Amino acid sequence: MLNVIFSFDFFSSILRMSTPLIFTGMAAVIGAKADILCIAYEGMMLFAALGGVLGSFYTQNLLVGVLVGVISGMVIAAIFAYFVMYLEARPLLAGLALNTLGSGGTVYVVYLLTGMKQNTSNLQSLRFPDVHIPGISSIPVLGDLISGHNLCVYLAFLSVIGVWFLINKTRLGLRIRAVGRNPEAAASVGINVKKTKFIAMILSGLLASFGGMYMSMGYLPYFTTDMTAGRGFISIAAQNMGLGNPVLTMLFCLIFGLAMAVGNMAQSYRLPSQFASMLPYVVTIIGLVVMGIKTKREETHIKKPTAGSSTEGLEEKA
Amino acid sequence: MSKGKSMDASKRIEMQFSVLRTAAAILISLVIAFILIATVSDNPGGDFVTLLTGPLHNSSRMTTIVSKFIPLLFTGTAICLVNSAGQINIAAEGAFFAGAVAATMVGIIPGIPVVIHIPLCVLAGAAAGAVIMGIPGILHVKYNVVTIVAALMINYVALYLGLYIILNPLRDPAAGFEASYPFAESTSLPTLFGNPRIHIGLILGIIAVIAAYLLLYRTGFGLVARTVGNNNKFAVYSGMPVGKTIIGISLFAGCLAGVGGTVETLGNYQRFMYTDFTNHGWDGVMLAVLCHNKPQYMPLAALFLAYIRTSADALNFSSSVPPEIIEVIQAVIIIFVAAEKFLAGWEHKAIVKNSQKELGTQGGE
Repeated sequence: MLNVIFSFDFFSSILRMSTPLIFTGMAAVIGAKADILCIAYEGMMLFAALGGVLGSFYTQNLLVGVLVGVISGMVIAAIFAYFVMYLEARPLLAGLALNTLGSGGTVYVVYLLTGMKQNTSNLQSLRFPDVHIPGISSIPVLGDLISGHNLCVYLAFLSVIGVWFLINKTRLGLRIRAVGRNPEAAASVGINVKKTKFIAMILSGLLASFGGMYMSMGYLPYFTTDMTAGRGFISIAAQNMGLGNPVLTMLFCLIFGLAMAVGNMAQSYRLPSQFASMLPYVVTIIGLVVMGIKTKREETHIKKPTAGSSTEGLEEKA
Repeated sequence: MSKGKSMDASKRIEMQFSVLRTAAAILISLVIAFILIATVSDNPGGDFVTLLTGPLHNSSRMTTIVSKFIPLLFTGTAICLVNSAGQINIAAEGAFFAGAVAATMVGIIPGIPVVIHIPLCVLAGAAAGAVIMGIPGILHVKYNVVTIVAALMINYVALYLGLYIILNPLRDPAAGFEASYPFAESTSLPTLFGNPRIHIGLILGIIAVIAAYLLLYRTGFGLVARTVGNNNKFAVYSGMPVGKTIIGISLFAGCLAGVGGTVETLGNYQRFMYTDFTNHGWDGVMLAVLCHNKPQYMPLAALFLAYIRTSADALNFSSSVPPEIIEVIQAVIIIFVAAEKFLAGWEHKAIVKNSQKELGTQGGE
């Protein structure tokens, strides 16, 4: 079994599992920076997954498919943002509603357009291509490790850099952080708080859409009901563990991906896979406790004013 | 004096609008449902009637409403409790599942008399539920962990731990599918009204609702809990036992959700057969929203949800319309009920008009 763990197959299995988590984890990072408690990522991912499949099936053009998928996901993000920002819906409930909509609405659309109820497996929709990097793919070990993965795998890692750059190096990123940290102060220097949060949510939707599209156009070649299976929630946890830092969040997404891959492998060896599947959640809880103890100790030792800590944004009055 | 009266009137208008918002949300969702059905159905009129009145067509379906209604009472009330204390503790999902697993562990033991066996199962379910919902509460109080994240995580722990227990030590190889050993005869719940599908869980559910109402609105503990939920800082500075209250209410809510899982499993199945979340916890969140976290409205809200779920079954049975349309209806209802500013312009005008009227009469006097 050890030689399986160190095999290339297992390595790429980790990447396959982590890719949707990284995309959505980055979406969650932007949402958290803008201090929006968004749990609607499942809904965004499902609609994007379906949109991508349908768009690419009807036009047989990958780019159009991606465009339709992205728009589908961003529409859900926009609905979320509109209800939360302008109609003052409680974010948790708006998220719950949109996840429910994602689950039921996609089934409806599939049935409306194809007459099937479970999946789109008989539609000839397109997949993201595998990328063989010229030059690197011919290097013995490194080539197998780095080259030959699905395009989305590379895009996911690029999105980490992109989000880091957006948040730390751009005007928009600064504004997003400002409205997240202290909306009153941001408003007092002329930043339109609602508009900035709205834009942040749309960008968040864009990233979550890629997470969803990878599920139906890479991980699997078709859309099935509820295919995201809680990945949106896991990404939120990864974001929380990563303290809103894109690189740390990516690391936790990889840890979750590793645990999922181990779970899959255990299943194929007829071992009880539940413990492997449970591992990431237990690790998260322990991590949160450790972080909680640490911050508590800091607060008691140095009496500093409690300026917007990264977890504060997730608190909401029920 | 008259200022107090006008405040009351404003409050009354706010109440009216909160009811109006719910009604408008349901109406909008029905219109959307009709449009959706019309696009996929050969017989839209008939299917829409099925959606509205299908559950009432025969007594078997009406029984189905009741059997769907029972578990919702438990998870809905559990979420009302934790929400009232300001805790977004959605671990009711895991607590419900854990309750079912714990009840199974006790329920498959043969040779225990009925009088003790059922209470033992309920106790086991309650304890398991309390552990699962208690953990996010305790972690929040002791280690400042964000409740919703801890709750999401603990749900999965409950799920996989439960599945491990069911599919390994408790798995019945003779079952032919993934399920536990069958429950002992002595665990079959007493039935009501001579209907084998309506079990004693109905009475337990009603008791749970009443207990939660009394706890929240008739005890000092409940007052503290609601104060914590409304104004945490005030509760802290006035020296209320905030931490203890949060932990206490989380544990109690967990007990309710766990008992819900227990009666749902023992009352409807011969063995443990879930392979995934049952979604009762998320349903509970939706119901708590519809009730504004007031347990006294829970029976009505749960009945409504059980009714439209039964409609979905009826649609599935009689037409080709995918029953998932019900989820779209639910989504629309939740989002509009949750939208505080939906119809706000109208509400504001009504309040202003009322105040002007009162000021006017006052001036005239």
